[in-house]
Amino acid sequence: MAEALLETEGLTRRFGALAAVDGVTLRVERGTVHAIIGPNGAGKSTLLNLLSGELRASSGRVRFRGEDVTRAPPDVLSRKGIGRSYQTANVFPELTCAESVWLAAHSRNAGRLFQPRRDGADTAAREEDALRACGLSGRRLSRAAELSYGEQRQLEVAMMLATDPELLLVDEPLAGLGHDEARMVLALLREVAQQRTLVLIEHDMDAVFAVAQTVTVLVNGRVLESGPPAAIRASPRVREAYLGEEEP
Amino acid sequence: MSLPQGVRAGLLVGAVALALVPLSGDRFWVQFAGKLMITCIYAVSLDLLVGYAGLVSLGHSAFFGLSAYLLAGLANGLGLVSPLATLPLCLAFAGLAALLIGWLSLRATGVYFVMVTLAFGQMLYYLFSESPGLGGSDGVSILQRPRLAVLGRTILDLGDRTAAYAAIWVALVLSFLLLRRVVQAPFGHVLTAIRINEGRMRTLGYGTGRYKLAAFVLGGVLAGLAGYLDATLYGFVNPAQFGWRQSGLVLVTVLLGGKGTLYGPALGAALLSVLEHFAERATEHWSAVVGAAVIAVVLFLPRGVAGLLEGSRG
Ligand SMILES: Nc1ncnc2c1ncn2[C@@H]1O[C@H](COP(=O)(O)OP(=O)(O)OP(=O)(O)O)[C@@H](O)[C@H]1O
Ligand SMILES: [Mg+2]
Repeated sequence: MAEALLETEGLTRRFGALAAVDGVTLRVERGTVHAIIGPNGAGKSTLLNLLSGELRASSGRVRFRGEDVTRAPPDVLSRKGIGRSYQTANVFPELTCAESVWLAAHSRNAGRLFQPRRDGADTAAREEDALRACGLSGRRLSRAAELSYGEQRQLEVAMMLATDPELLLVDEPLAGLGHDEARMVLALLREVAQQRTLVLIEHDMDAVFAVAQTVTVLVNGRVLESGPPAAIRASPRVREAYLGEEEP
Repeated sequence: MSLPQGVRAGLLVGAVALALVPLSGDRFWVQFAGKLMITCIYAVSLDLLVGYAGLVSLGHSAFFGLSAYLLAGLANGLGLVSPLATLPLCLAFAGLAALLIGWLSLRATGVYFVMVTLAFGQMLYYLFSESPGLGGSDGVSILQRPRLAVLGRTILDLGDRTAAYAAIWVALVLSFLLLRRVVQAPFGHVLTAIRINEGRMRTLGYGTGRYKLAAFVLGGVLAGLAGYLDATLYGFVNPAQFGWRQSGLVLVTVLLGGKGTLYGPALGAALLSVLEHFAERATEHWSAVVGAAVIAVVLFLPRGVAGLLEGSRG
């Protein structure tokens, strides 16, 4: 069995009486794409927020590279190598694409408060690569607010890539994209997945079954089933609870 | 981020004009222009917080007042007059106070941050106005102004109005250039991005609290510089300098001039000083006139006077 990059144990998050994430135990292996699927409101985004440190767990643990990071704040997790993108575009409306991606790339040198004006070819190269990979080279100087919704999503992914994360938490990267843009982002994620580990939330089942090595089905905050795509597809419980409603 | 052409020229002309004021030999105008420049330093120091870091502080006067009072204490209590000793001490004190107050207030965000900073300013106001040992509500006269002597010969006496004026001019130019550098450096870009979307900056790996605290301290040190110069120019400190009215006035100056531009708040400080001076002569209801002008600018020029200048750029 491959090495686990990220593990959770009984991870739980309550909002009042509602347990949005309820005792989730997961094992994300290094170098794989681990998809999380489930109906609306299943707790997928909440789970991602727990993994990125944006929400505090009510109980349970998270381990990254074997280290307990349950209470680590998002900036620390980011510097440890966890990057994320959001379900709805979460960008800097007043900043240009180049500035936004530069900030992301520069964050790797942000240990010190006052750095030299330009921090070397390294940052510039990461900025350039991320913009090109996400098809935004032509939009370098456009402000995020001027981008189409799809382009904002691409910028979202570009910022994540520019931080050079080892683990990517990606929340519905294809939602709201046109056909061509979706194909491009999907191809990009596949390429990225060659060297990194992905936790992918996606409603597009064709995309999920095409790229994922492991699929976890979440319903009402709990893990219903977890395994290779073929097994998930064949599982009667999953078909009943979730997939059934989408397949003919 | 570079300055509009006309603004750059205007700033140069303004700096030269201010440098020439002492040649008029008119005591009133030298004092007036000196005060105006101190207000400029005060306003640009707050602009770093409000316009870049997005931290609307209503307690900025704390650092102005603490530095001014410390100068009075050092001069009167210890007979310390050398600016080589008092200036670093006063600035360091303002910086330490900003570190402590910032560290505590930055736990709050949004309107709660405004309230906490306001509370700190008011606390100091009451402390200083009600402790006889600290001068009480009458304030304190500074018996000896900062004076630099080498081998018994005085080479710089800031009790002399022209010398004090020159020092203020130099301080304004240096503060402005320093802040320009800071906001154009990566640090400034990071602050701006934190203002726009702090949550995203954290998931990009920035410990945003440290950046905001650093900005708060730098702004506090420069407000302390303004307080030091004010005490030097007037030879007098009083507890009203801590009050929320002072903090509110600087904040209005920043908004009026145009936050997030540095030169806007400096311009705002100059405009408000001049407006106040003439309105004061024309009518006893001068604060109503100034108030009306402020309302007009806020309603019709949401980006302040600076927005007007930038809007006219090609
Ligand atoms: N901050 C919050 N406060 C209260 N309830 C919340 C909060 N965030 C999420 N919830 C609730 O938790 C449940 C799970 O929400 P979550 O956004 O994680 O679902 P999801 O699986 O991502 O859904 P979708 O597919 O629609 O994105 C929902 O019932 C939601 O209303
Ligand atoms: Mg979601």
